[in-house]
Formats: sequence, C-alpha cells, structure tokens
Amino acid sequence: MQLKISLAVATLLSTMALNAEDYVTVQYLQYNENNNRTDVSAPSIMINKDFGTDYTLNAGFVVDVVSGASQNYYDKNYDGTSGASSDASSGASAFARALDVKASDVEYGNTNYEDKRVAINLLLTKRLENRDEIIVGINQSNESDFYSTELSTQYMHWLDSSKNQSISVGASYQFNKILTYCNDVGADGCSGASEAMDATAFNAEVSFSQNIDTTSDVNIALFFSNDDGYLDNPYLNVIRNYKSDGNADVVGEKRPDSKMAYGFAFKYAKALNDNFTLHLGYRYYRDDWSIDSHTLDGDILYEFGDDWIFKVGLREYIQTEANFFSGYKNHFTDEKYASSDQRLSAFNAMTYKSNIDYQLNDTLNINFGINYYTQSTGLDALYFITGFTYGF
Amino acid sequence: MKTITLISFSIIFFSGCVQDVKPWEKEILAKKTMEDSSGNPLGKQFEEHIYFSKEASKGGGGVAGGGCGCN
Repeated sequence: MQLKISLAVATLLSTMALNAEDYVTVQYLQYNENNNRTDVSAPSIMINKDFGTDYTLNAGFVVDVVSGASQNYYDKNYDGTSGASSDASSGASAFARALDVKASDVEYGNTNYEDKRVAINLLLTKRLENRDEIIVGINQSNESDFYSTELSTQYMHWLDSSKNQSISVGASYQFNKILTYCNDVGADGCSGASEAMDATAFNAEVSFSQNIDTTSDVNIALFFSNDDGYLDNPYLNVIRNYKSDGNADVVGEKRPDSKMAYGFAFKYAKALNDNFTLHLGYRYYRDDWSIDSHTLDGDILYEFGDDWIFKVGLREYIQTEANFFSGYKNHFTDEKYASSDQRLSAFNAMTYKSNIDYQLNDTLNINFGINYYTQSTGLDALYFITGFTYGF
Repeated sequence: MKTITLISFSIIFFSGCVQDVKPWEKEILAKKTMEDSSGNPLGKQFEEHIYFSKEASKGGGGVAGGGCGCN
C-alpha cells in the first residue's frame, strides 16, 4: 500500500515536472546555397506559456532575410527600363522578358533578388474536462510582394482512459495576396503594370497516435490540400515559340489556377535502450499536377550522461515532375501551362543531419545543428540552426 | 470514406497489438528524445520551411504552417 502511494506521488510529481512546459526558445538559422544562390538569415523566437492546467498559449516570431539569385531564363539585353526590374520593391530582377529574342541573347542563369519576410503565429490550446484538446491558431506572414494570413483549428480526442490512443482532426485556411509585375506581356515583353493577385490554400489532416508500449509510439496522418487562385511564380520565365532561326519569346511562366493534393504520413519513435532513440518516418504525396513524392526520414539520438544529446539523421526525397514542366528551350509553343521551375522537375534530394543538444543547468538548454541538403538538380545547401531554450 | 476506413483500420490494428501503458509507465515516452521535434519545435519549423520552399510537396506535419511567397 505504502509502495503504491509512493509510486502515485512520484508519478504525480514527475507528471507535474513534465507538464511544466513554460519556455522561451531563441533560434537562428543560417542557410547558404552553392553557386551564390539563395542565402537566408533567420532569427526567431517562440514563447510557450501555460495558464493553469487548461490553457496554453504559444507565440512565435521569425524574420527571414533572403538574398541571392534564382535560376531563370532571361533576355540578356533587357535594359531594365520598363517593368518590374525597376518596380519590384523586393529587388527581384528576374523579368528580362521580351518577344522574338535572338537565340544567342536567351540565357539561363542566375538573376539576383533579395527579400525579407516577417511572420508571427499564435496558437491557443484549450483542454477540456476529459483532457481533449482544442487548438486554434493564426499566422500572419508579410513580404514586400506577398502577404499571407492563415487561420487554423484542431481537435484532439483521447480514445482510451489510459490516454494511449488519440485521434486529431484539423484544418487551416490561408489567404494569400501576391504582388505581380509585368503581368501583361506587351510588345516590349513587359507592360510594367503591377497587380495584386489572390490565392487561397485549404489544408486538412486527420491523424491517429498510439503508444505501442512503454518505449515506442506511432502516428499516422492523412492529409489533403487544395490551392486556388494565382499559383504562378511571378518572377520565373519560360521560352515559347522557339523558331528554326533560333529566335524565341521569353515570357512569364503559367501554372494551373488550382492544385489538389493528398497523401499520408507515418512516424514511429522507439527508445532502443537508456541511451539510444530511433525515429523513422515516411510520407507519400500526390497532386493533380502529376507530382508524386516519397519522403523517407530517419534519426538516431544518443543521450550521453544527463546533459548531452547527439543526433544524426538522413532524409531522402524523390519526386516526379509536373505535367507542364520542361527545362528545354524548345519545348513550349502554345501550351496553356508552362514552367521551367526546377522545383517542379523530377529530382531526388538527400539531407544529412546532425545536432548537439546540451542541458547547461535546470533551466537552460543550448543546441547547435549542422545540415547538408543536396538535390540531383545541382542545388546544394549547407545550413545550421543554433539557439537556446530557457524553461521558466 | 477511405480516410475513415484507414483510420478505423489503424485503430483496430493497433488496439490488437499494443500494451495498455499506465500513466506511471510513461517516463520514457515523455522524454524529449521521443518528440518528433526532439525538443526543438522552432528548429523543426525551419527544416519544414526549407523543404517547402525547395520541393513541390507539403503536408503530413500538422495543419498550421503559415504561408510564404517561396514557391
């Protein structure tokens, strides 16, 4: 009896300690691509605060400073006097559009840009008497040429009295406003007009979580998304009407104005012993632009003493190309949809991940991670994430 | 309908082969090494954001992601 009471008290205390999730975390991302392409510096902060046992507020703030160059087709003689090259407050210079350009003047290479994104998000969790959870959230993200507002909600229901099984249903709706330039291609290839375009994104997810035993758990999620509206990248060009004399038109890309996608994801975590923990994941994705993708993810964490956690991981990704993608100059004529964006091409990618986590004292934790991302398109990126978490 | 079927199937399947873990047996399950983000949700968000901006797929990591003009 005494042992039972001691166990119950110990359990209660450990549960209270585990539930003490008030913290502030500050993280910094530095991301650099090869060949002087995209560089990103992103400081961020997140605060998580419990109000009693029934409410938790989570607030995040991030600033992305992006600079570099994106690969694009362009008319090398474009003088930049009309259209967005001079207009775009983002500084993007990817336009260089023109009709009937000499083959020798059509180039594929880096066009410079820079941008800054400021994003804030709030999530409020309400726990009911049976400890089910209702989460509502709002995200606001602003760039010089892109504004996004997202509302989200999620309901998590415990399926058993021991709280080993739960099901969650969630949905979000995003309103995006995109500023485009050179929307109408005139005789000079660019009218210079600016226009605000709208797009929306609806996301829904149903997930099931299960504690398998005292050392492992699993999560299965089904997801669906529907994007509508202006889905083009306003800065990217394609080559159309390639003629036998080599002349061609350099015009803006054009994507369908809707995209429906669905898929499922599986996550498994297993504490192999006192020191090693294994994480495995798989995701399948499919959309009506004919893109299929598979993502395999695996991490191993090693706890050294009470204070150190080392992590190494691999992520492999493979996708098929969109049905309106081509990277060739002489592919598009009067096709309704056309894009040469490498992100819509068929490629595979690998991420090599590592991280060190050190518990400095009872309240302060510091982390440093370095990761290498490589795509078969030729894109390589090295990025590190470092910061600290203070519990209070 | 397929969603309901798959979720129902998963619940039945896992109900048959899992242990009824009591609250006092959840110490390991509650460790941060067992969390999907390994105790660093912001770091996880950074990674998801990178993949979202460099690849054509999204989904499976929760519904609240926030938008960016990085397509």
